Amino acid sequence: MDRFTLKKLINMISQREISSAELVSTYLDRIKKYDHSLNSFLTLNEESAREQSLIADKVIQAGNYSSLTGIPYASKDIFCTKGIRTTCASKMLENFIPPYDSTIIDRIKSSGAILMGKTNMDEFAMGSSNETSYFGPVQNPWNLERSPGGSSGGSAAAVASGIIPIALGTDTGGSIRQPAAFTGITGLKPTYGRCSRYGMIAFASSLDQAGLLALTAEDISIFLEVMSGFDPLDSTSVEQDVPKYSDLIDSSIEGRTVGIPKEFFNDSLDSESQKLLDQGIAIYEKLGAKIIEISLPNIGYSVPTYYVVASAECSSNLARYDGIRYGYRDDDIEDLDDLYRTNRQIGFGDEVKRRIMTGTYVLSAGYYDAYYLKAQKVRQLISNDFEEAFKKVDLIVGPTTQSPAFKIGEKIDDPVSMYMNDIYTISSNLAGLPALSHPIGLIDNLPIGMQLIAPHFEESRLLNFCNLFQQETDYHMQQPQAFLDVRH
Amino acid sequence: MTIKKSDINHICDLSKLRVGDNEIITFTKQISDILNMIQELEEADTKGIKPMAHPMNMSQRLRNDVPLSNNDRDLYQDNAMDSEDGFYKVPKVID
Repeated sequence: MDRFTLKKLINMISQREISSAELVSTYLDRIKKYDHSLNSFLTLNEESAREQSLIADKVIQAGNYSSLTGIPYASKDIFCTKGIRTTCASKMLENFIPPYDSTIIDRIKSSGAILMGKTNMDEFAMGSSNETSYFGPVQNPWNLERSPGGSSGGSAAAVASGIIPIALGTDTGGSIRQPAAFTGITGLKPTYGRCSRYGMIAFASSLDQAGLLALTAEDISIFLEVMSGFDPLDSTSVEQDVPKYSDLIDSSIEGRTVGIPKEFFNDSLDSESQKLLDQGIAIYEKLGAKIIEISLPNIGYSVPTYYVVASAECSSNLARYDGIRYGYRDDDIEDLDDLYRTNRQIGFGDEVKRRIMTGTYVLSAGYYDAYYLKAQKVRQLISNDFEEAFKKVDLIVGPTTQSPAFKIGEKIDDPVSMYMNDIYTISSNLAGLPALSHPIGLIDNLPIGMQLIAPHFEESRLLNFCNLFQQETDYHMQQPQAFLDVRH
Repeated sequence: MTIKKSDINHICDLSKLRVGDNEIITFTKQISDILNMIQELEEADTKGIKPMAHPMNMSQRLRNDVPLSNNDRDLYQDNAMDSEDGFYKVPKVID
């Protein structure tokens, strides 16, 4: 049986080949049967999902339904869901029940899609391996000893294994694209401001953006239309019309220019990955794109710039967790200072503490100019590099990661080595650009991804290029061996 | 750049964190490593460049200052471990 893309499920529902109740039941069974080896779900929304599927079937019977009515999806556990526990994979929020829905969850609900559960992630989205989760790491379906990447590791593993057709993620420095690459699926980080951040638990507010993980660009285009658009509740949301992405994915790319940044192809990229990237670039050339070499001279500063900006914003955003209004509260408290410190000592894991400490340091008296202000200036240089590049090319193509998925435990004790994982993905967050990762083959049975970066609000270009690539190839339909029977 | 245990203690005071005696050596080394990595930024030539605070250099949009009638205090306080009569309770601050 073919992989079940979202598009295929939509067709099956509209042709009455399957009911929403059957679909929801099938996916719930899959999650229960297979997720014990992945740990990709933190909370299942079983009862509500079954109820909603019965309502969806009535709506479908009545003929007044939209394309997503009755379709199951999952959300990273960073989006507030009214009445459903939202933990951010932290002990701090282990028992937090949001009193409202995030705008994105609300919009998807209005489209008729059904939330099946909340997926595991790095704690507060801080991590590149899913190992910082309070609820334990997620395993990569291609090799259970390997990391699925992070921070949207649960969403990635769930989609790649076939236990959910599509999932929400967030991307602050690569947290959608890197796990998509490590698990052989497609992941999109939209332009900063494209999707509302209201109700999406904040890590680094000038970098965080909601996006999607799915099997194909076509599937992402269908969901993105529903999620995107201006939201008065998010002051950084941008007032700009949302294109009908799914209508634009088949356009010819004949004569479009693709830039290959020479700085992305250096010693830190392994040679096997390089070979697959060359093959991938050749496919875009075959599709009619013109390939030219470009330079992003300041791109080497991306990782240090990011770890100043992101840590500073993290230390500020996470100051709200005091254990008084919500979050972990310890019983054994002496005074107010002890209350803050004890709740935060027990409620936060080590990586979150490291980022708060780094952020506090770079913002503290005497260091602000040398670190934070300097990083903001370098951020502008990086952004200028992209602006110059997009005067010459329509799209930038490069690696998503330096190598295939690493082993769980391999990098967790060396934060700087872990941070270097994001070397290719971070720059588009700093510049607010949309970027996508799609699979381009396997090395030793582990997937490799290719990254596409476009100018602001050109998500349709990314999806168009990727869709044509996926019409030409079948890397996106390759399945992890251990989960081959998931679809039968 | 090497930072000392006393620096970590100072950062913890500022950010209301607490680090156990057995963890402080590890944190001191790791934060030093991170700051060393960040130090690379010194090499970048940023003469005449303005700091970038927003990825698209947009200014903050403000909503009109109109009072709203909804009050969800009780709903929000459901998540508090200790509240009474609409107030959040904390240990005594002033004797």
